[in-house]
Amino acid sequence: MRLPCKTIPVGLVASLLWAALAQAQSATPVPENGTLEVEQVFAGTCGFCHSDGGRAAGKGPQLMNSPRDDDFIRNRIKQGKQGAMPAFDGAFTDAQIDQMVKYIRALKPREG
Amino acid sequence: MRKQWLSSVLPAVVATFAATAALAQSVDTGRIEAAGQNDWLTYHGSYKSHHYSPLAQINASNVGNLGVAWMHIPGRSTRGLQSMPLVADGVLYYSGSYSRVFALNGATGEVNWSFFPELDEALISRQTHSPYNRGVALGEGKVFVGTMDGRVFGLDAKTGKVLWETRLIDSQKLTVGFTGAPLYAKGSVIIGAQGGEWPGRGPIFALDAATGKKKWEFLTVAGTEEAMKTWGNESWRTGGGGGWMPGTYDSETNTVLWGTANPAPLYDWSGADYKTQGARPGDNLYTSSVIGLDIDTGKLKFYHQELPHDAWDFDSSVGEFVMLERDGQKYVVHPNKGGFVFVYDRNLKVQNVWRLVENINFVKDIDPKTGALIGRRDFPVGKVTEPPLCPFIGGGISWNAGSYSPKTGLYYKIGQEWCMTLDIQKTTPVTAPQAQLNIGADFKMVPPPGGEIYGHLDARDPITGAKKWEVRYPEPPLGSVLSTAGNLVFVPDSRGVLHAYDAETGAELWKHNNGTGHQGGIVSYSVGGKQYIAVTAGFGGMLADEYAPNFGGVYKSMPRDDGALVVFSLK
Repeated sequence: MRLPCKTIPVGLVASLLWAALAQAQSATPVPENGTLEVEQVFAGTCGFCHSDGGRAAGKGPQLMNSPRDDDFIRNRIKQGKQGAMPAFDGAFTDAQIDQMVKYIRALKPREG
Repeated sequence: MRKQWLSSVLPAVVATFAATAALAQSVDTGRIEAAGQNDWLTYHGSYKSHHYSPLAQINASNVGNLGVAWMHIPGRSTRGLQSMPLVADGVLYYSGSYSRVFALNGATGEVNWSFFPELDEALISRQTHSPYNRGVALGEGKVFVGTMDGRVFGLDAKTGKVLWETRLIDSQKLTVGFTGAPLYAKGSVIIGAQGGEWPGRGPIFALDAATGKKKWEFLTVAGTEEAMKTWGNESWRTGGGGGWMPGTYDSETNTVLWGTANPAPLYDWSGADYKTQGARPGDNLYTSSVIGLDIDTGKLKFYHQELPHDAWDFDSSVGEFVMLERDGQKYVVHPNKGGFVFVYDRNLKVQNVWRLVENINFVKDIDPKTGALIGRRDFPVGKVTEPPLCPFIGGGISWNAGSYSPKTGLYYKIGQEWCMTLDIQKTTPVTAPQAQLNIGADFKMVPPPGGEIYGHLDARDPITGAKKWEVRYPEPPLGSVLSTAGNLVFVPDSRGVLHAYDAETGAELWKHNNGTGHQGGIVSYSVGGKQYIAVTAGFGGMLADEYAPNFGGVYKSMPRDDGALVVFSLK
């Protein structure tokens, strides 16, 4: 299932791409076609702890249907939690973190 | 008169001084090789990696009288306590999270000294596999410890004072450092960096034990011209690798034996065409391999890649290289995370391969004569559910150590039965080292097809794999195993119970609840004629964190930021 928030507008992507390239330590895969693939970010980094792309609890909590508000999630991604989650404020831009929050909010159970 | 005094008394004074110095002195290569029964001088007990104590004061007939002698709380045990204590001349040395090091009186627990390195806390807050530490090394009157921010310290074993400090990795760039214990041998301190799913080249270093000066560095990713050819495109730049658990030293061949980690990304979308397609086309040498390095030069002497193009994260980082002899033949036994146990000669030529774990389907089999993989499952993009991949990413075998008893001739090892579903993603190639992980799939733990998740302690013939007995656990134990000449096998389990079994039969003879899960080391030693068993308790970390959501029960309330060293003796 493709999630509606997976692909974002090219104009926004251009600015994100610039920001990402400006950061030597960016962990965000930026494909050649200029779209930011949040699913890829999960498969590359976040999904190691948030099982099934955030749909199930693993090392980290389930993110689908999270009762936490957007600000909490945004802040947790940036600051992390000691001994549980790394801080990603040096790796992702604010705009990228916003995209992740949107991805989390759109998570649905897998089909089939 | 004075001259006469000097000639008669001075030699005695010198001899006394020399004897004292020798006593306090020194853990050296010969002493570790000899593995005196009162001590535990290196991570694996001795270079033979037996994790066995020849002490028998505590034995199968009196283990019922075992009780807590003393405890030590290291504090700040974020992600539990995962280290292997070491003991020399009655002093117990161990490390906790954030590379805190303690030297304690082995009989009483009294603190001789402690060392809390000042670390880059901002960096550590950005790390995923952190801030636990899995142990120290002893040698030449020093204690050696690595840090998460890429440094190694040499401390005075008597005082804990820093004698040298060497930075080896730019941890800001990769966010990896050192969590594994170093190995001391022949004047060198050898330590491997974290790697695996981090897009770097996974170095292993040797330092001069006296000065801390770097002697050599071996890159586990494309570290030779031959290896470079096994990485398609530019994938060698970000191949992962590393060697994050301590290996051992073979003095007969002057070789460091080390197990290496998996390539990055963990999961590849290549499908069956992995030689030419996917994120890292080729065999990806020397990841998921066992390697032999000349201890003086760091040059590769021989190797065996246990999993060419590892597409499952079933790497070879387990540090045990169990050395033993049978019928005049010298063997090295090395467990692989995938659940197979490889038997080599001393030059890492495959002699046999056997299964410790029942639920394995990433390959149909491994050829016991050659080590070649038979019937690989290489995944294209998409879901892996029918059947799920077995074992789970935590492995059929985890990184903690088993134990070989020369007395029973049996190898005691924990196996883990669990599987996982995956959704393999075609991620954009990572072309430069980056600060975060590169996994390549979403995944989830599931039970084996038609069965339940469980763990087991097996008593096996280390060469043939023939099973003598087995003990099962509802959740896989994650700590190390200890066997002793007292006909005992100790297993610290995940729920927090330390078990003692009859080494010949597997019958449980004693147990004690330490109050929190185990995922670290266990050793035995003797001070003043009294035998002790020391075990680290404290849960949390990359595998333990899966227990609460998947198993519930006691794990729901089990702390993941606490720990204690618990030491037992006969009442």
